[in-house]
Amino acid sequence: MEPIIQMKEITKRFPGVVALNRISFDVRPGEVHVLLGENGAGKSTLMKVLSGAYRPDEGTICLGGKEYSQLTPHLSAEGGISIIYQELSVVNWLDIRENIFMGRLPMKQIGPIRVVDYGEMNTRTTELLKKVNLSSRKPTTSVGDLSISEKQMVEIAKSVAFNAKVIVMDEPTSSLTEEEVQKLFVIIRQLKEEGKGVVFISHKLSEIFEIGDRITIMKDGGYVGTYQVADLTTDDMIRLMVGREIKGTYQHPPEDNFEFGNVIFECKNLTRKDGKAKDVSFSLRRGEILGFSGLVGAGRSETMCAIYGAAPKSSGEIWLHGKQLSIKNPYQALRQGIGLVTENRRETGFFQNFSNKRNISIASQLKKSGCEGLIGLVNGAEEQQIAEKERTEIQIKCASLEQLTAQLSGGNQQKVILGKWMAAGVQLLIFDEPTKGIDVGTKSEIYKLMRGLADEGIGVIVVSSEMPELLGLCDRIAVMAGGRITGMYDVADATEEKLAKAATGESA
Amino acid sequence: MNTTAKKAFTFSDYWDRYSTITILAIMIIVFGILRPTSFLTGGNLIKIMEQSSITILLGLGEFFAILLGGIDLSVSSTMALSGALTAQLMVNLGLHPILAILIGVILFGAFIGFLNGSLVTATGLPPFIITLGTQAILRSLVYIITSARAVSGLPASFSKTMGGKLFDVIPVPILVALITAAVLTFLTVKCQCGRNLYALGGNSQSAWYAGITVKKHTILAFSISGICAALAGMVNIARLAAAEPNAGTGYETFAIEAVIIGGASFFGGVGKIPKVIIGGLIIGVINNGLNMVGVSSYYQQLAMGCLLILAVTLDRFFGASSKN
Repeated sequence: MEPIIQMKEITKRFPGVVALNRISFDVRPGEVHVLLGENGAGKSTLMKVLSGAYRPDEGTICLGGKEYSQLTPHLSAEGGISIIYQELSVVNWLDIRENIFMGRLPMKQIGPIRVVDYGEMNTRTTELLKKVNLSSRKPTTSVGDLSISEKQMVEIAKSVAFNAKVIVMDEPTSSLTEEEVQKLFVIIRQLKEEGKGVVFISHKLSEIFEIGDRITIMKDGGYVGTYQVADLTTDDMIRLMVGREIKGTYQHPPEDNFEFGNVIFECKNLTRKDGKAKDVSFSLRRGEILGFSGLVGAGRSETMCAIYGAAPKSSGEIWLHGKQLSIKNPYQALRQGIGLVTENRRETGFFQNFSNKRNISIASQLKKSGCEGLIGLVNGAEEQQIAEKERTEIQIKCASLEQLTAQLSGGNQQKVILGKWMAAGVQLLIFDEPTKGIDVGTKSEIYKLMRGLADEGIGVIVVSSEMPELLGLCDRIAVMAGGRITGMYDVADATEEKLAKAATGESA
Repeated sequence: MNTTAKKAFTFSDYWDRYSTITILAIMIIVFGILRPTSFLTGGNLIKIMEQSSITILLGLGEFFAILLGGIDLSVSSTMALSGALTAQLMVNLGLHPILAILIGVILFGAFIGFLNGSLVTATGLPPFIITLGTQAILRSLVYIITSARAVSGLPASFSKTMGGKLFDVIPVPILVALITAAVLTFLTVKCQCGRNLYALGGNSQSAWYAGITVKKHTILAFSISGICAALAGMVNIARLAAAEPNAGTGYETFAIEAVIIGGASFFGGVGKIPKVIIGGLIIGVINNGLNMVGVSSYYQQLAMGCLLILAVTLDRFFGASSKN
């Protein structure tokens, strides 16, 4: 059957990386084509090429019988491509019909003026809602009052209203209940029958088997292959999706006979108030680096935030060096020797209005002060000394300590944050995606620093979405899915396949 | 990377450091040339400082609200309320002036600020809305407790001291403003809580993750604002020897202008206390100078408005923010 859209050998480069390397992808009428790959495999980039947001460097796209070297958002929409993103793009304060017809309101002529034809809009919206099994809602219901699943249906209705031929759904099931997923699948099957093509992006392998017809697998921006879903097993999918060489390791080599010490940190049955982490228990030995693997939204960062006191927990115990800690906010975590290197440096890691010196010294000075930081003097000389020490020790490349941290490179900003925690004398340091957006050279420096901390007896926990990073750095790796720990592996036994399997919640 | 340290001193660097004082100097020179005999006399300059002292005090408090990226619109009402209450303590209850001042500043001023801060943190609403509300509420309270009549008959010792001159030369209101500024400079430069406030103003998310208790520090900032407004209230009733119920109406605008002309960022995290004093003096010089030159008071607001926009525009093009 003639594909609705055909992307041939698409290559997209960003400074320093090849995001897509000769990817071919097509969608036929009446099929569900699954796109599978790890975080960062290039799925979103490919979809952005499809939507016209990115311009590919090489390759062609055939759409509606014409061949293009790039699409524009307009061409893409005209050609019948509709993308439903994970973060839904409905407008909460408008009603359902306005959301569906946004930008293309039906008009009618009254005398000399053209006005919005609400009657037409209501009729058509009612029809569309019936189509997506949402007849229970009136066209005039405010979208803000709908559940996530219902909002998704509104987006699908919108795509249908504009005669979409290909509907891309980016992880549509990630925040749906099992029942809602089944409702979605009913609609997807209906779309198939009408001859529309559906691109389905998901990490949940069971769903892929249930709804998918063909599957294209991507790995590190490269094309692995396109298969019939029925021809593959779960293990095949995982093997094809991961499985690459690990470059450089930072563990103690076996011939060192390095032995881990006593347990220094323990987290017992931690559950978050909002349920984003459930009954999480693990421990950390002296000298050990513990990694946390899993998909985005699996509850890894959420667990770490709860340990650090940045998010409320409903139950659970935190033990450090044999003492039970009570941590209700980050200040108490800091006082009791726990630090968190957050995922987003700019938003939560450092202060754009502060110099390197101040950014390095803030935690140690705050720790010394009394009454939650309200009482106490800043010791200028000590501040200078602390900052100088960290600058030389972790080799922060900066023009001066008075320079704004915001002007440094990402890697050096991360070093400033690391220096801040080292100066504060932490006993446990949690890293959330520590090398995100950092160049290769600085990455390995940061790994070495982390290993150095572990060797000094400081507990090190790493949350990362990059499996090679975890396999190359950690001594043990915990895997989380759905807010729970679904697997715990010694690095010697861990493989990307095992981690990926546990991350999809397939088995522990 | 090391080249930035050796870069030549540019106009941008100059403006970054000395913009506020330059504006003040230019204005003094201009008015000095226009009215050398009346404007540029020691007596007049001291008068300007005395007239500016209330703006400066309000500005010093306002600085902390703006430092957090917020605003405090209630300073004018806080000033009036604490002034009226203190006056009544002295007139009706016969309290000793020193005791009355202490109660007025610490109990009334700090408490109103504490309330503002608590409302902001508890509701999560923008400080603009909260303090717009408390501005109206507090002003109403002033009218209620004074029955909209001036409280007069303050002890002579009070008005003579607070509104008088030290050694017959330096007006006490100036001293109050300068001492307050000195204490607050110490707080912002040397105290950990001052450092934390800059951090919080720069990025509240980072501050929370760095272990800074956001709520307590927000309440602290608004409390300082309340204390400064109450001090302005003391100075005001002493100068007038009475507490007027509509005292300070609209003064929050002057306070905000003083802070912004003083180079503080409206987005928070940037600013210096001494520059607030200069900002307040600039407003005083404009009003006094235009009077001397014989410009109708109708034009004074016009001049203020233009200057405010000009100063911030120049900052945008030449100041620190232009480099980021």
